[in-house]
Amino acid sequence: MQIEKFSVSLKIEKGGDMIYFSQLDLILILTRALRRTSLPLYYTQGFNPRVKMSFGRALKLGVAGQEEITLYFTEKIAPQELKEKLLPQMPQGLRIIEVV
Amino acid sequence: MIDFSSIQKPQRYIGNEWNVVKKSHQGKIPICISYPDLYEIGMSNLGLRIIYGMFNEFEDVVCERVFLPGEDLSIKLADNRIKLFSLETKTALNEFEAVGFNLSCELNFINFLKILQLGGLALKAKERIETIVFAGGIANPEPVADFVDLFYLGEFEEGIGQFVEVFRKYKDKKARLEALSGLDGFYVPQFYNAAICSNKYKFDKLYNSAQFPLKRVYVKDLDKSYYPLNWLTPHTQIIHDRVPIEIARGCPNACVFCQATKLYKPYREKKVSTICNIAKNIYKNTGYENISLLSLSASDYSNIEELLDTLILEFKDKRVGLSLPSLRIDDSLGELYRKLLFLKKTSLTVALEATSDSLRAKLGKKIDVNKLFEAAKLIRSLNLRTIKLYLMLGFPEETDEDLLSIGAFLEKLQHDTGLSLNVSINIFVPKPFSLWEGVWMCPEEILEKKIKLVLSSLRRKRNLNISISQIKKSVLEAILSRADRNFSSVILKVFESCGNVTSENWPVWLAAMKECGVDYRNYLKSENDNYPWSFIEGSKISGLKNCEGR
Repeated sequence: MQIEKFSVSLKIEKGGDMIYFSQLDLILILTRALRRTSLPLYYTQGFNPRVKMSFGRALKLGVAGQEEITLYFTEKIAPQELKEKLLPQMPQGLRIIEVV
Repeated sequence: MIDFSSIQKPQRYIGNEWNVVKKSHQGKIPICISYPDLYEIGMSNLGLRIIYGMFNEFEDVVCERVFLPGEDLSIKLADNRIKLFSLETKTALNEFEAVGFNLSCELNFINFLKILQLGGLALKAKERIETIVFAGGIANPEPVADFVDLFYLGEFEEGIGQFVEVFRKYKDKKARLEALSGLDGFYVPQFYNAAICSNKYKFDKLYNSAQFPLKRVYVKDLDKSYYPLNWLTPHTQIIHDRVPIEIARGCPNACVFCQATKLYKPYREKKVSTICNIAKNIYKNTGYENISLLSLSASDYSNIEELLDTLILEFKDKRVGLSLPSLRIDDSLGELYRKLLFLKKTSLTVALEATSDSLRAKLGKKIDVNKLFEAAKLIRSLNLRTIKLYLMLGFPEETDEDLLSIGAFLEKLQHDTGLSLNVSINIFVPKPFSLWEGVWMCPEEILEKKIKLVLSSLRRKRNLNISISQIKKSVLEAILSRADRNFSSVILKVFESCGNVTSENWPVWLAAMKECGVDYRNYLKSENDNYPWSFIEGSKISGLKNCEGR
């Protein structure tokens, strides 16, 4: 059965100590941050389901800058709600700039 | 400060994990704790996390962490004369009032010295004027007695309050050590004289109020004991990247080779409701994907089915994987695994130790192998990919037939289950406080023959991965766990001559032992009651006889 998915895009800024964390780490950080919220996460289908997310261009390790990320949910989520719920779960150095 | 961008895996040194505790040092007792290995390994240790959380619960204590830095950072620190620092506030180790180490793994002794040295601390206890280096998790403290000011024998949850109390009351090192040495579980080596008189270990106290004989201390109420709910969640992968939740401590079984029976006695359990509460809270605070139910033998947990049912109900929709790392094969195996299947993928691990029934009986290992084969069909249906199997060799009463039976056993198991097998074969080490602490360690030449015999019984097959532990490494492990105080000088020599090599470097150890006039075989022969650790309560004469004959 195909579950409908709703996407929300956000732009985040990586700075401070977070510049030492790789793209792989970023997936882990966001996954856990999202799992700490009560948001209806969309998981990839398959043997080992993961929180689905997709990334724009990755930043190099040790470099500060912005990244675009798309998150997926099983229900429609208002940008404001996502921001409110995700913000308290983000580690220092990762800033949500905008949600669309 | 250091520019981490030129360092490999800088994530190890940032100290910004989710739920990290950062306090100002002002007016507080600063303590640093360590598991002397790399970050990814050290952060996987449960004891360290419990102690970190407990220390930080005290408002007037600040507890931080340090791990072994990678080779590149070590060199950089030494070249730039920067002292190794704590992760949280980047404070040099020698600025802490106490630095604590988990020394449960003997092969980390060199790492432990390296951390002291890089942190600007003198290696020998007597040469350190202010800082107290304390250690725990160790069965026989004697080989490192020269380096450690204070050991805790047993489970530190019971002693941590007293420890802090003494640190509040007294401000200088000597007064603190004197006060602590009078309390149960605390052992200050320099207050005791350890000598060998006519081949017997003799142990006297030099300071009047020090405890003697020494007691090991155990948590009385495990159910109510502290558990770190604000679980430190690294932003990068660590070796055991899951939350272990302790469901029981100790083991009701009495396998002869195992230290745990006596080191964590008696067998205690947490209530189902307590465990579920812990799991719920930790999940809420971390978002972790995997929870592992930790105990030495999960099948012995009295309400294992109720526990699993409750946890599955709680976590079914949250996509949390549950694992039970220590199930025994018995009737409930299939049922339990069927339950786990509702969650994420599971793996099956069987600590069999020996494939021959008669040898297993001698080892006190209560496993009915037939159950495993009976369950084979069920295992097939479980969607598992591999079975992990633990075996051991080098036992005193082991016969050639016992060893040769390994090949046929594995073949049958693979045939019946259709799964790939990961088999790890370890060498028996007579560990202090195990029932067989007095048994001799199989000499290297014989071990070599035994391993050849096992290998000859195996047919090379796909999906059969065998790893056998290295002989020299096991012998070294045996020496380091069984040696006396004299051995501190060998450890120091090895550290000085090649502080950068791994501790498995056998020729360096041999040379150091020769130079110090130590014959390591003395530590490995069979004994009755004359051990370097005899002064600690809990050591007993082994029941096994005739073990030297072979």
